[in-house]
Amino acid sequence: MSTYIPIDSASSPLGQAASTTTAVGASLAFDDQRHLTAHRWLVDESYLLDQQDYDAWLDTLAEDIHYFMPIRVTTALGTGYDTAKDMAHFDEDKYSLSRRVARFDTGHAWAEDPPSRLRHHLSNVRTFATENENELVVESAVLLFRSRGDVLEPSLLSVGRVDLLRLEDGAWRLARRHIAADESVLRMQNLAVFL
Amino acid sequence: MRDAADVLANVRRGMLPAHIYNDAEVFEAEKERLFSRAWMFVAHESELPQVGDYVVRRVMDNSFIVSRDQAGEIHAMFNMCLHRGMQVCRAEQGNASHFRCPYHGWSYKNDGRIVGMPFHKEAYGGEEGFARKGQRLLPAPSLGIYNGLIFVSMDPDAEPLEDFLGDFKFYLDYYTKQSASGVEIRGPQRWRVKANWKIGAENFAGDMYHTPQTHTSVVEIGLFREPKAEKRKDGNTYWAGKGGGTTYKLPPGTFEEKMNYVGYPDEMVERMKEQWSQEQIDVIGRDGFMISAASVFPNISLVHNWPKVAEGDDVLPFISIRQWQPISADETEVLSWFVVDKEAPEEFKKLSYKAYLMCFGSSGMFEQDDVENWVSLTNTAGGSMARRLLLNGRMGMLHDDSPVVQPLTEDEFCGPGVAHVGYGEYNQRHLLNEWADYLEKPAPVPANIHVGAPQVDGECSSETAAQCSSEKAEA
Repeated sequence: MSTYIPIDSASSPLGQAASTTTAVGASLAFDDQRHLTAHRWLVDESYLLDQQDYDAWLDTLAEDIHYFMPIRVTTALGTGYDTAKDMAHFDEDKYSLSRRVARFDTGHAWAEDPPSRLRHHLSNVRTFATENENELVVESAVLLFRSRGDVLEPSLLSVGRVDLLRLEDGAWRLARRHIAADESVLRMQNLAVFL
Repeated sequence: MRDAADVLANVRRGMLPAHIYNDAEVFEAEKERLFSRAWMFVAHESELPQVGDYVVRRVMDNSFIVSRDQAGEIHAMFNMCLHRGMQVCRAEQGNASHFRCPYHGWSYKNDGRIVGMPFHKEAYGGEEGFARKGQRLLPAPSLGIYNGLIFVSMDPDAEPLEDFLGDFKFYLDYYTKQSASGVEIRGPQRWRVKANWKIGAENFAGDMYHTPQTHTSVVEIGLFREPKAEKRKDGNTYWAGKGGGTTYKLPPGTFEEKMNYVGYPDEMVERMKEQWSQEQIDVIGRDGFMISAASVFPNISLVHNWPKVAEGDDVLPFISIRQWQPISADETEVLSWFVVDKEAPEEFKKLSYKAYLMCFGSSGMFEQDDVENWVSLTNTAGGSMARRLLLNGRMGMLHDDSPVVQPLTEDEFCGPGVAHVGYGEYNQRHLLNEWADYLEKPAPVPANIHVGAPQVDGECSSETAAQCSSEKAEA
């Protein structure tokens, strides 16, 4: 038995054009060059996100990215779904992500001015080959710690991610990200962050 | 609540004791007097499309199963087993013909009626000791539905929902009745914010004044073309019945042109014309006002905006409904749904969903900045200095209480209620005056409900009258 229900871009109203590449076989050995490459990519990305260097982050995203974080719901075991139908926290393409980043650059995005202190704690990374040599599926866990000001308790967001990384013109880019929130009710005041 | 008379008197003259936004005593009074009586939104019928579908929603700290039974009827049932009080349904949504309590196995149909008690005969002596007939999960004290929106009141003697909403129904139709099929609502996104529930309700009800400042960034990035200061103050705020909202003044043109201007395709506009009254059409077509944010007392809000969702100049409208579910004096769970007309073209639904996500909800670019303000405000309102401070909530009124601008005449605005052009806190005052009226009235004292109490001389004296009569009728 497993409680794991994978997230599928096809279940999103906006995910129809997303890549459908899937993982093939068991996870790659931790000394496999492809795993090392993917792991390094995720670590570097975590630093970009912690530092809110979103312009640089945007450059690491493929043009056809589907960045998707459905809403998790509590359902009885065996119900067959654990996300809300046709609704998400994030359901983004490159355009909408670029607007979010542009907003942070205006100097008038009060939600992050003063900025939060962010730490994306990254772990449980495993990499899978795909049918395509230039694409890898990478799974990871992220615990985002977010602290604002000096009065409020910090907030935490725990998620699992399944990414598709693609080698394009010599650089690996994020072509698809499925984010499984581990809470049905987020204990974070807004998602003026990326995962 | 300390100094209740002073607090309410000050609120009524537009002077707001700052601590009402973070005060445990005020919150207790709200629970006891307001949320025990007012109509509260729980779900929309479209969340329960099939027989057996259910969602579990709270009214404050009370869990209710909202279900569609085998006959298609909607129920809201207190989610507590009649035996030991266990939560009968622990999932948030699903489809079930029955709910079985995990503790001792009592089971209930999806209309609430009890159908199974393990060892009924051996343990209770059968019907002689515990008559199952007429026993059911407690129904919500009052249930009402308008345009598919399901409301619950904790007051068994609540006035009918439609009377409560009053003339605000006129405006609610813009959001929830754009075709004969009504709307579908998706979600909710749920998240907690360390903010008092009233702040969001007040903001959506009438705060056009914050738009140019709080939401500067979304105009700068070209997401939204409207909220520039000079545009926003040309709109009006209206209050009617138990709700009120804000509007934008649109460029001249016919009703159809104005609906096109905010991004509705012709086929949707045609269906709206079939659904809406001449006055509802004239508010937009003749008077030139397009509905935007609104609140219904006490704690639901609506929003209608029309951002750009791709490169180019096209805009696309979206609608959201949200509930500010109070958790405590300084914490609110936001439940935010996306709303779209059932008959809208698929492509419209898709892009409207995208528009919603970009603007509102947990990740929305408008909402991100709103919440930052509200959390900060709530935090500041918790201190002792805030107890001394009466904030000025009198925008739009002179010292003698006369309005800065005269209300719109019937020739200028044919919607019901009172409307004023420009910035003002008329609606926030309406909302808080309702709040004061509720807080002034003593709490209702509903009768106790006894589960299968022993009967004396064949009388069901310890049952509530309603349950007793229904039992007798079925017997």
